[in-house]
Amino acid sequence: MTDTAHLPSAVEADSTPDGDKHSPMKRALIYALLTAVSFIMLYPLLWMVSSSFKPENEIFATTSLIPQEFTLDAYRRGWNGLSVSFGHMFLNSLLISVLVVVGNLISCSMAAYAFTRLQFKGRGFWFALMLGTLMMPQHAVLIPQYLMFLKFGWVNTIMPLVVPKFFAIDAFFIFLMVQFFRGIPRELDEAAIMDGAGPLRIFLKVILPLSTPVMATAAVFSFIWTWDDFFAPLIYLNDIEKYTAQLGLRTFVDATAQSDWGALLAMSTLTVLPIFILFLLFQRLLIEGIATTGMKR
Amino acid sequence: MSIADASNSKPPLSVRLRGQLGGYGFLLPWLLGFVVLTLGPAVSSFYLSLTDFGLMGSAKWIGAENYVRIASDDPRFWTAMKVTFTFVLLSVPLKLVFALAIAVALNKGLRGLTIFRAIFYLPSLIGGSVAIAVLWRQVFSGDGVLNQVLSALFGYEGPSWISNPSTSLYTLVLLAAWQFGSSMIIFLAGLRQIPTDMYEAASIDGASRRRQFIKITLPLLTPVIFFNAVILTIDAFKAFTSAFVVSDGSGGPIDSTLFYTLYLYQEAFTNFRFGYASALAWVLVVIIAFFTALSFMSAKYWVHYDD
Amino acid sequence: MTTVALKQIQKRYGAVEVIRGVDLQISSGELVVFVGPSGCGKSTLLRMIAGLEPISGGELAIGGARMNEKAASERGIAMVFQSYALYPHMSVYKNMSFGLETLRMPKPEIDKRVRKAAEVLQITQLLERKPKQLSGGQRQRVAIGRAIVRDPKIFLFDEPLSNLDAELRVQTRVEIAKLHADIGATMIYVTHDQVEAMTLADRIVVLRAGKIEQHGTPLEIYNKPVNRFVAGFIGSPKMNFLDVSVIERRDDGVVISLAGAKVVVPLVDRTGAGATLNLGVRPEHIKVNGAGSVHLGVLTITHIEHLGGQTIVYGRLADKQTLIVAMEGQTLLGTGETLNVSIAPEHCHLFDAEGRRLAD
Repeated sequence: MTDTAHLPSAVEADSTPDGDKHSPMKRALIYALLTAVSFIMLYPLLWMVSSSFKPENEIFATTSLIPQEFTLDAYRRGWNGLSVSFGHMFLNSLLISVLVVVGNLISCSMAAYAFTRLQFKGRGFWFALMLGTLMMPQHAVLIPQYLMFLKFGWVNTIMPLVVPKFFAIDAFFIFLMVQFFRGIPRELDEAAIMDGAGPLRIFLKVILPLSTPVMATAAVFSFIWTWDDFFAPLIYLNDIEKYTAQLGLRTFVDATAQSDWGALLAMSTLTVLPIFILFLLFQRLLIEGIATTGMKR
Repeated sequence: MSIADASNSKPPLSVRLRGQLGGYGFLLPWLLGFVVLTLGPAVSSFYLSLTDFGLMGSAKWIGAENYVRIASDDPRFWTAMKVTFTFVLLSVPLKLVFALAIAVALNKGLRGLTIFRAIFYLPSLIGGSVAIAVLWRQVFSGDGVLNQVLSALFGYEGPSWISNPSTSLYTLVLLAAWQFGSSMIIFLAGLRQIPTDMYEAASIDGASRRRQFIKITLPLLTPVIFFNAVILTIDAFKAFTSAFVVSDGSGGPIDSTLFYTLYLYQEAFTNFRFGYASALAWVLVVIIAFFTALSFMSAKYWVHYDD
Repeated sequence: MTTVALKQIQKRYGAVEVIRGVDLQISSGELVVFVGPSGCGKSTLLRMIAGLEPISGGELAIGGARMNEKAASERGIAMVFQSYALYPHMSVYKNMSFGLETLRMPKPEIDKRVRKAAEVLQITQLLERKPKQLSGGQRQRVAIGRAIVRDPKIFLFDEPLSNLDAELRVQTRVEIAKLHADIGATMIYVTHDQVEAMTLADRIVVLRAGKIEQHGTPLEIYNKPVNRFVAGFIGSPKMNFLDVSVIERRDDGVVISLAGAKVVVPLVDRTGAGATLNLGVRPEHIKVNGAGSVHLGVLTITHIEHLGGQTIVYGRLADKQTLIVAMEGQTLLGTGETLNVSIAPEHCHLFDAEGRRLAD
């Protein structure tokens, strides 16, 4: 696996050395092909967005991506299409996602710091176990976890979605941070030790300030994955007031019974929008994150 | 050595303890999480799989009966297996081939690489969300976009691909294949790692581009191919959201999209058969572990490592 | 200012022993240089004194007090790292004040100390910059500044000049020597460069394979290396070693056979006839055309390096043994020509078969 510190060169350069050897014809062909594939791939998404601005009768009348009549009506219908407004569910999603980001950043960075920088008995053993949990499917622990949270009275609250993240349950992020921390020169820790700093001060004043790239990557991935998560909210949240946007959207499918595609596509567009914005803002971080760890959802 | 007296060879207890406390202090959240949320539940889930246990009453020990029933007396289990394996065996190779082909095309030093890369990556970032499943349901429905395009281009009036049991699974395979972006990024990073002078040396030796691809690029990329294949396979076995949304949680039509995880969900949280569902979960764990182990064992025959 | 005492210091990683019982007394205000080839354990030894590596055996005392169990920060030590290890996210000022803040020193006092150190090192105008905006030499100064502000009793330097280019290295070397003269603190300095060792040290400690081979002033080490290893390591170009055998023992020394000729070398050590020895002669001590009384023979020149102020001549003696001669000034000699080479008796070093120096 690549060392995080060397990453930009590994993924960012816009050209590769074997570039010049292609004839202009061949080049044009490759461009045409890539453009065609891009268009086919993006078409469903573009169609979704454009249809959300069309009046209902126009959606199925044409495959054109440009609305003949631009209207926000579908958004109005969709926003209040359920007994609880989508705004409420978006806030629920936001609250959960933000708490998860906070939990992951704190707990995973602590664990990664212990694994990379502190000496203690059993470190190798625990590290191996941590890597093991990366591979393990969550299904194996799902039911007892559910029963446990049921006993705590946490079912139908956001607790089961949030609290585990404060206990570094997402080993993926520990791994991501371990990779990054390993790239920070150990002499910096030693200089800080000579300066009289203890483990906590080194962590807070040296390691964390130097780790903003990986912390940002972890934060963005955490947010997106939590925002997108469907399975856990489906299991743990029962009342519609507690629903996340994803659960709301899925309920909306049932409620409209596909009679109001406009509203459905409008709400779909809205649930994807935050991810799309994050993608635009942090594209480089996300791509580097994927390239370093080779892991993804 | 005799010169070192025993008291010297170790720092005193207080010093050693301080070091240990620091380490375990920082590890504590993970350690608690691991014991309470992973290790404990894993053990108890295995225990539950040997019981008859529902929402009411207590777990009743029935030994291996759940497993026996899974193997011999549960047609839906076998349906789910068939659906899941079809999905895995189709979607993983498709994704790999797409990802590799596009990565190789993008690695030709084209201008606009970053834009293409972003476009191809986007679907895999949002593909798991409910919105995309909803969109898919629309695209492949009877009056969906696909049929509109087919009718406009070829005058062909297509069926509802989603509600036809013989095609519904393939729409989900297509949805998975659509999300080849993150594998592509890993391939791109891998391609960048291949030293240029190897190609230069091969060119001087007179090797054609096709030959360079087969003799240099592919072998040097096998570790990345292997990695992607393992991760994609594990992910494919765990696929859930798309099937759930497209089929309204039923796995239909006629169980044609009954993914293993969907069946597991139904048994656990619709039928509340916790014991049986636990057994199903462990069967899945074993299947995934088996395929992972198999890939790792096969790796030494085809994966090329430098060292 | 304080003393450092190492008593049978050892370091083991599992079964591997990297420091094998080191004894050393460093007096107050002394500048001691640890020198040796890579892997000799000099950095490990320094890090053990610093408190960055646990001590596996023996005792470390600073100012008379046992330090084995004390944390690095409690030893009154500051260290300058090879890579400087400046905190990249902090300004120069912050880099220097970080340790003082850790000590919870009052802000005005911190400010006073940082500014004073900056003045001494002439980096006042750099205080608000980040390390990556500095040149190598400036980083080096900041690293030293970070050490100075804490007013340590002992400075440790771990190959501090190895990342600088040649010119800056010489300049910084002089500055470190001046710094030592000014503040008079005890300093321990690690390097693999024998020129740095010779120019800086009050005392050189030559290490090999985790043991001290010899320690003494630079000139002691140069003039009386205790064995072949030290003799070869200190001095540039390297000392020549010629295989010789003892023909006869006399009262004023031994008669040895060298390249077929008989040569008399003063020696008090007891070595009987027939013993095989190594004769060590430094290139710069070899005289051309009979100025020395110990005649080494006729040298056929195989290669010449002109350094301008000095000329290095490579050649072979009659019995094919190679010899390097460092001549002052310039020469018109060419390859294939011959020289009569000789050396003063006091510049002959004799080593026995095990490489030990024979007393003269």
